[in-house]
Amino acid sequence: MSSNKVGVASPTRDEATSNARERPGVVLEVKGLVKEYPGTRALDGVDIEIRQGEIHALLGENGAGKSTLIRSICGASRPTAGQIFIDGRPVELNSPQEAQDLGIAVVHQHFNLVPQLSVAENLFLSQTLPRRMGVFVNWSVIGRRAKKLLERVGLNIDPWTEVSKLRPDESAMVAIAKAIGSDARIVILDEPTSALLPAEVSILFGHMRRLATEGHSFLYVSHRLTEVFEIADRVTVLRDGRRAGAWTREEMSRKAIIKAIVGGDKPWIEETDVSRIAYGESVFAAAALAGGKVRDLTFELRSGEILGFAGLPGSGAEEALDLLFGRSAVAGGHLTVHGKPLTLRSPRDAKTAGIALVPKNRHTESLLSGASVRENISLPNLDRFVSDPFARFIRRGRERAESQGVAAKLAIKMPGIESSIDSLSGGNQQKAILGRWLASGAKIFMLNSPTAAVDIGAKADIYNLIREIAASGAAVIFTSTEVEEFPRVCHRVIIFRDGVVVGELSGATATEANIMHLAVGDEDER
Amino acid sequence: MSASIELKGSERKPGFDLPAWLARFGTLASLALLLIIFSFARSDVFPTVDNLLNIMNQVSILGTMAFGLTVCLVMGLFDLSIAAMATLGGYVATFLLVQYPDTISVPVAVLISLAIAAVIGVFNGLIVSYLGISAFIATLATGSIITGAMLGISNSKTIITGIPDEFLIIGQGSVFGVSNPILIMLAIGVLLWLVLEHTQLGRHLYAIGGSAEASRLSGIAVKRYAPIALSICAVCAALGGLMAASVLGAGRPQGVGDTYLLNAFAAVFIGASSLRPGKFHIIGTFIGVMLIGIINNGLSIMGVPTYWQYIVQGVLLIIALFSAGLLTMRRR
Repeated sequence: MSSNKVGVASPTRDEATSNARERPGVVLEVKGLVKEYPGTRALDGVDIEIRQGEIHALLGENGAGKSTLIRSICGASRPTAGQIFIDGRPVELNSPQEAQDLGIAVVHQHFNLVPQLSVAENLFLSQTLPRRMGVFVNWSVIGRRAKKLLERVGLNIDPWTEVSKLRPDESAMVAIAKAIGSDARIVILDEPTSALLPAEVSILFGHMRRLATEGHSFLYVSHRLTEVFEIADRVTVLRDGRRAGAWTREEMSRKAIIKAIVGGDKPWIEETDVSRIAYGESVFAAAALAGGKVRDLTFELRSGEILGFAGLPGSGAEEALDLLFGRSAVAGGHLTVHGKPLTLRSPRDAKTAGIALVPKNRHTESLLSGASVRENISLPNLDRFVSDPFARFIRRGRERAESQGVAAKLAIKMPGIESSIDSLSGGNQQKAILGRWLASGAKIFMLNSPTAAVDIGAKADIYNLIREIAASGAAVIFTSTEVEEFPRVCHRVIIFRDGVVVGELSGATATEANIMHLAVGDEDER
Repeated sequence: MSASIELKGSERKPGFDLPAWLARFGTLASLALLLIIFSFARSDVFPTVDNLLNIMNQVSILGTMAFGLTVCLVMGLFDLSIAAMATLGGYVATFLLVQYPDTISVPVAVLISLAIAAVIGVFNGLIVSYLGISAFIATLATGSIITGAMLGISNSKTIITGIPDEFLIIGQGSVFGVSNPILIMLAIGVLLWLVLEHTQLGRHLYAIGGSAEASRLSGIAVKRYAPIALSICAVCAALGGLMAASVLGAGRPQGVGDTYLLNAFAAVFIGASSLRPGKFHIIGTFIGVMLIGIINNGLSIMGVPTYWQYIVQGVLLIIALFSAGLLTMRRR
């Protein structure tokens, strides 16, 4: 690449021609972008180009590099190598402010609006406000400007409405208006539709389409393939930090895109031979269970089995675990544990019934930060160490011995059982959390993304641990935001879409691609 | 920034770590330093057993209240009603003794007044757990209600006459030369130390204070604990006020607890910066209480004007919290 020449301010003619940098219409071009973090390469030479007036979809699994790419484009993190061109000119983006000055704005998933402030206040939050006599904010001018800006994006609302009172699609449009108001020509939308209803999505898409014909460009990140087919002019798929494919609207095919997302050439290793698993009796069953997003959930889990709950974010797969642990309210249906009916009013009821939950976010939902490894392991098990039913003194010797035993069995690497849990690596912290429930004697383990933020070596340990738990006669429900984990871990997978189970796969048919097909929906197959 | 999860702990250097040492022992070191300074400055008065007992006697009410406050801060709850609760404790006991001199004995009066405090504490906890109002605001409100109720019942009049001598023993008596308030403070301290360090209740309070969600998902009935913690705190505050009334020989319907409110918080927070940085604990609170007592005693023995006590205390509080914060900041 010839871009390592000096004098980057204005590209010379031959540089421009040799690299075809001045192709008309290309407003943003990313070339060979590399981003390294200690131990990992999040981006490994990514190329992407965005033309004027196009809606460009960016797809990929979690960890494929989408967010790193966005962070690089909007100046939030500096790439290790590679180049970004805006209007054919190489640029260096050292801060989000610099990116904004060059016309790049990001609309995050939750729209970064202040809900307690009015639309007008939000629109001009980051700008210098017009003043009267140089002191008092001139609110009438702000109101007029806000009105004009809202008209430009086609939103007919009072600029003094409080943002918290808006519909989700209106909030999305206000966020886009804010971006355009700061003269953004390239608007990056990070999963803008995750909180929107289908009708609201189509309103949002209408506005986006019109703004695109006016010359604004969009980079649109989504998990929802159906939406991508509806709105995108072009698609780029990332996988493992590289571009796995790019298509124009005419070339797009669902099959090819899914194959690019999951990696068609990836050999599928049959790590669990389902035919040889000897399942025991039914330990946990749900009939027509409903609550929150989840509707009509029916399944049966046998001892020794690892059942996967797969689905896109928001599909109900993760929510089902919260429901089954008494964490969110059950609205209907029946649950049985070992054949006995179970009513869940709180996580305490679930624990008493022998159910364990390893939640997704270690730091906010499972770890006792600042406490020792011993205290973290014994947390749900203190009942067993109390001396008497009244004062409930804890026999610390027994507690320590048991925690030590669990730590040794799981090969937790730590300075000692009394050292702070915070001094352990992510993988060892997660092992301690699993150990907490192993020590509790739970018979049903529900695991939400147990390998999130865990290094590769520890991942394998945790996979093995899950298999051992199942082999010991317990039953496991597993869910993850990474689809590739399901074939590796589960004996059987049920797939959620929009809160309902849409399919079940097991053994050789439970491939990443098959799961993905069911998860995104096949109704408009091309 | 985003990928640093696996790095922590691996780069901790062996050898002497000054910030860590300061966070742990800084408060104790400053306590020792003060002791040395005062001992040299007034070697005739300060370093004597009599003066030590005098200091402990002076901080006994503060200590009793601060121990109770430690229990609810462990769980992450601020109790601002302790000032009003202390006033209530002393006033209700003297009120009952004077109103019903024939039917209510001193132990009964004490028990009733502590029981009322316990009930109000439970009520505080119910507001926090079931109405979802932060303890800070809830206890501010109930504190105001208690203050109003006391003024209404008393007609703003202090009870002076008719308090039986048995009641005065609580604050003015002594056993083998050690005054009763000191013994009460130490007894409460030992009891709450046992509760926090060695019982399941204590462990659950620490767990909830660490992460309420992790505790809930571990099957702990989190909502039950705010009433327990706040009523323990309320009883200790009322006991402190009761001791104050006994020392004074009067039941004042207002302002008894106000002098102790800020000092109790200061003591507990200074305590959280010693030995176990970032954690509230009884021994730490005791160190905090003694530090405040020694500053006040030492400075007044040296003839330093009273206003300096406040200034020195404030500066120490900032230093203590900062040195404890050093370690927590680095952990992130």
